[in-house]
Amino acid sequence: MTEWPHWLPILAVLPLVGGALTPLLFHRRPVAAWFWAVSVAAATTLVAMTLLLKLIASGGLSYAVGGWLPQYGIELRFDEIGAFALPASLLVLLSLSFSRHYVARAVDSGRISFYYALILINLGGLNGFLITGDLFNLFVFMEIFSVSAYALVATAREPVAALAALKYLFLGALSSLLVLFSVGVVFAMTGTLNIEDAAADLDLSTPMPAALALAGLATGFAVKAALFPVHFWLPDAHAAAPAPVSAILSALVVKAGVVGLLRTLELFAGGEGLLQPMLNSIVWLGALGALGGALMALVQRDIKLMLAYSTVANIGYILIGLGLSTASATTGAMIHVVNHAVIKVLLFLAAGAFIHRTGLRCIDDLRGLARRMPFTAFAMGVGLVSLSGVPPMAGFVGKWQIAVGALQAGRPILVAVLVIAGLLVLAFSVRVTNAMYFRPPSRISAAAATEAPVSMLFPLLVLTAGCFGLGMAGQVMLRFVAPAVPGLYGGIP
Amino acid sequence: MNLAAEAFSHVDYLVTVALFLIGAWILLTSGNLVKKVIGLNIMETSVFAFIVTTGMIDDGAPPLLAAGVEGPFASPLPHALVLTGIVVAVSVTSLALVLILRVKAELGSVELDEIASAGEQPGAAAPPDSRGHAND
Repeated sequence: MTEWPHWLPILAVLPLVGGALTPLLFHRRPVAAWFWAVSVAAATTLVAMTLLLKLIASGGLSYAVGGWLPQYGIELRFDEIGAFALPASLLVLLSLSFSRHYVARAVDSGRISFYYALILINLGGLNGFLITGDLFNLFVFMEIFSVSAYALVATAREPVAALAALKYLFLGALSSLLVLFSVGVVFAMTGTLNIEDAAADLDLSTPMPAALALAGLATGFAVKAALFPVHFWLPDAHAAAPAPVSAILSALVVKAGVVGLLRTLELFAGGEGLLQPMLNSIVWLGALGALGGALMALVQRDIKLMLAYSTVANIGYILIGLGLSTASATTGAMIHVVNHAVIKVLLFLAAGAFIHRTGLRCIDDLRGLARRMPFTAFAMGVGLVSLSGVPPMAGFVGKWQIAVGALQAGRPILVAVLVIAGLLVLAFSVRVTNAMYFRPPSRISAAAATEAPVSMLFPLLVLTAGCFGLGMAGQVMLRFVAPAVPGLYGGIP
Repeated sequence: MNLAAEAFSHVDYLVTVALFLIGAWILLTSGNLVKKVIGLNIMETSVFAFIVTTGMIDDGAPPLLAAGVEGPFASPLPHALVLTGIVVAVSVTSLALVLILRVKAELGSVELDEIASAGEQPGAAAPPDSRGHAND
């Protein structure tokens, strides 16, 4: 079994095929479709786990698709960045588990099998994106998860959903085209699509075309990642989508933009004069995003909008870490990619459980819910505390590393940004927790609510445990990610 | 001077960049959703044209022709890339058109400013009991 080489493509092919089969096999049989989707996601998670164990045991894996050797054929590779496929598969699995009762209300019954299909296809696209070593393949997988994400936003019943999905589609397609254009430029300059090969061949001495490619890639992936000035599509789309979809979009699809940046910046590692201004502007935009996102989250009344803006803030943290490009800041950013994903899935699913049971999504209407839905309220509270980065929890590790990196880089003002944004996050966390726990109910549906069903509580409790566990496992993750960091854009110490 | 000469030696690239910017302008500024899709398609076409153009290699010779046969040569790989890209573009366009149909059916217009003003006056073009539907 260990010698069988095909686990790597299976990681992307399994959810893609499973997703495509869902409407064929289980149309108008929502429970069977749910069971099928959960099984496929669970199998994908097992494949990702197998690959991770192999990675830890014997280092990075490489796979030549169709037997065509790398540099000519498409290369898949599994490394420390590709290992993000494991949390991605696991979080999609938990969101699918949560979906069973949620979609019965939030999605038209005729669309439910397509809903599951799209989520699986989205996972397949994400996994493929994470493991590919080929520039054009990167674009194709990006389109797979992007197009399925646009369609997933539109599965919600609210009439604003279609409009939010369209806005997301227009911005998403624009950014995809920027990426494709840059891939074309890189191909024209080097004659190869393999990322490692192109990085070695790219001629950075004539700055003009390389600068064009760098700008296109950075802008394209920044839109995908919802970096500050181009974040405006995110709150609408993430708030309009059904809660499990918001969770997947906020936790994983947005992070794919960050991974895209990580993957493609290494093309320009040799060109200090090119890369440094770009990284600098990413740092400052990240800082603006962290502050602006946290401020906007503070003034929202809708809980899902609040969570969506907090995603903008957290992407800001991550990109500060990436842009600083000191060793500890970059490891911090990579760890925060995973930890924020876990926290944000937990928060969106808990918000979804409230919406499912009460139909209320305004923060002030959630008053007194802790008495009626104690487990969900506890999960929400843990998630919010984690999000604000209180020490033993998951949100702390990455932010601490980024702050240390900022100090090492001699930019204490960024530490101030991180602290202020953290305080703002703490402020809205306290506001929600206060409403849930210490206020009398103001709505009848909140006073009469019952605890969420088991298929919803189970993922919530697993993720709550994850928030504690990832906080404790910070050292382990640091040691795991560390070998990948020197390879990123030239290994600035 | 040097820059200008270099620029004119690549008129084809300049044309694709101009097309890209025209498409992006329509996509970002037009208030009509269908026109935005058209802008998107112009951008897609410009990128495809650019990639196909890069496949033309000056003085290139085809590797697999019988002896004595002469012909112009274009690298086949960009064509394969663009074919894939066209498939992606078609699916994005069709999804966008379907979503526009739904917006038209539910919000009554494909003009963004009309949708926005309808949202400000509840009752004028209010969608049929969406809230209750979502919560029942």
